[in-house]
Amino acid sequence: MANETTAIPERLAAKAQEKGWPLDLVQQALAAGAGPDQIIGYMDQGVTAEQARAFLAQAAGGGAEPSAELAAKAEAVGWPLDLVKQALAMGAPEADIMRYMDMGVTAEQARQFMSSSGAALPELDLSWMHVPTEWGTRARPTKHGLTLQAINIGRYGEVPDEWPYQTEMPRGAVPIPGVEGMGYSIFQKQEVWSDACAPLYEEAIQRRWRPATDVPWDTIAPLPDEVERAICQLCTYFSEKAQMEADAIARWEPEISYGYHEVKLYLATTIFEDARAVEVFRKRALSNGGGLGIQSPGWSFRAVIDARNFTEMVAIQMVLLDSLTLSEYAYGWKHAKNAAEELIFGRALQDKARHVAYGITHLKYTLLNRPDRREEVQRYLDKGEVMLLTDDRKDNATRPAFALTFGGGREGAGEGLAEYERMRAHFVRQYLERLKWATLDRSDRIAAGLRAYAG
Amino acid sequence: MPVFPSVEWFNAIREIVNSDPAFRQLGTVDASVGVKVGNKTYELTFEAFECTGVREIDESALRDLDFWLEQPYENWKDMLENIKRNGHADLSHTLNTIDLSMPEGFARSYDGYRRDAFYRFNQSLQDFFNASAKIDTEFAEPAAVA
Repeated sequence: MANETTAIPERLAAKAQEKGWPLDLVQQALAAGAGPDQIIGYMDQGVTAEQARAFLAQAAGGGAEPSAELAAKAEAVGWPLDLVKQALAMGAPEADIMRYMDMGVTAEQARQFMSSSGAALPELDLSWMHVPTEWGTRARPTKHGLTLQAINIGRYGEVPDEWPYQTEMPRGAVPIPGVEGMGYSIFQKQEVWSDACAPLYEEAIQRRWRPATDVPWDTIAPLPDEVERAICQLCTYFSEKAQMEADAIARWEPEISYGYHEVKLYLATTIFEDARAVEVFRKRALSNGGGLGIQSPGWSFRAVIDARNFTEMVAIQMVLLDSLTLSEYAYGWKHAKNAAEELIFGRALQDKARHVAYGITHLKYTLLNRPDRREEVQRYLDKGEVMLLTDDRKDNATRPAFALTFGGGREGAGEGLAEYERMRAHFVRQYLERLKWATLDRSDRIAAGLRAYAG
Repeated sequence: MPVFPSVEWFNAIREIVNSDPAFRQLGTVDASVGVKVGNKTYELTFEAFECTGVREIDESALRDLDFWLEQPYENWKDMLENIKRNGHADLSHTLNTIDLSMPEGFARSYDGYRRDAFYRFNQSLQDFFNASAKIDTEFAEPAAVA
């Protein structure tokens, strides 16, 4: 083969010159069965001439004689030398053979495999096996099991600031040329990233719950009509808010490129958790002789749906509005009328706290990496707060419903309203504290209608 | 009979929850939680599916924790007696209700983000204190904070 030459297409030769690949190397790759487009693809991916030469040498098996190390290992695990030579002759790299030995593959199993791959399936193209990804990776389970953090090792754990691929190729895989783009529009880490998203994903998976069977529905007893109506109105409100968040986040999922799969996975759990909130509050409304109430005016919903970039959506939905919902769930739990509602609000609170955790850690990541976006984020929150206050003005149901629920009926509505005000203060105080943690001070900028609660 | 507050008392609870499948079913908990009772301060470490450690700490170490729970000794006693009576905290004695009933909050932190671990793991933390219903507790008021 050394004396044979293979014609090199002109565009391949040009690319080789551009990328610094010697023509003899290109000829060697062509002779090994790689197509011109494939080789150009490797060059475009940044594979160097040196890497390619090493790869081709390895693919060729480096000769049929095993190294001393391989021979010693073969002897230790009981692989006859002829079997090792046969494997090398078939093109298996030494590293792979040693790995099979480490995995406990017996000589008999290896012989059977080689005989079947040679006889029964002669036409199989196994060149894909020589993919130049990082091989030999062995992620180990932790106390938490085999988590996303645990498999983020070596190159697989490198999250690039910019992701250059338009396709659905998983991070760490090797791209092939010619694959159609998938329509992603977010390729920058600062647009979506949070260092907490992988652990939050695992936490969401581990702490999931099942409304149909976990909630002790039989503890719900008949309530005074106006209290039941108030709770049903709140369930309508919570169910509606959760559906809107699920829709908003689901719209952004397909925009995020695959380089940031931890974010995509975590957001998938938020969509699921919002679905669960839609489900559980709807079930509560329909489980005690009541029904759904009236819809919300939807001004703040629109601010979320109209968001033109991901961070805008996160700031308004997952920091501002979810901070409000978190406080509402905490107070809802405090004033639960039965064990079923205690569990509903308690578990929904945990889910919501993760949404807030992602929102605020993403905001901090963006602000630290793109300080020029600080004023932009402030403006998103300006808008979100104004829309929230517009909801307050236009919504004639939610506040009274909270007051009647907290007060236990019309007689206690005065105290219920006072509790509502404490709930708003709780929300505003914690919202500002979270933003401060994210390096954003809004104590002087928060909308006037909320500032009164800041204390 | 373990005395509240003491490392021994918290360790008795720790052993109960670590062997309780229901606690594990609530999911992973990763938080360093302080408990402040009078002039006594403790750190509870939760990792994955269990409470991995209990130790007495200096009050200044609270800064390093995710958050801490603080209320007067009498309120701690009232909470734990309520749990003992009911087998779990009734609605007016849950960690959540106590938190919302105190102007300065029951769960406190120097960190606006880490404090939210109180919400994220609330059911597990409640389960931890509810487990005190399974032991007999002797109460001893720690010295007042200087």
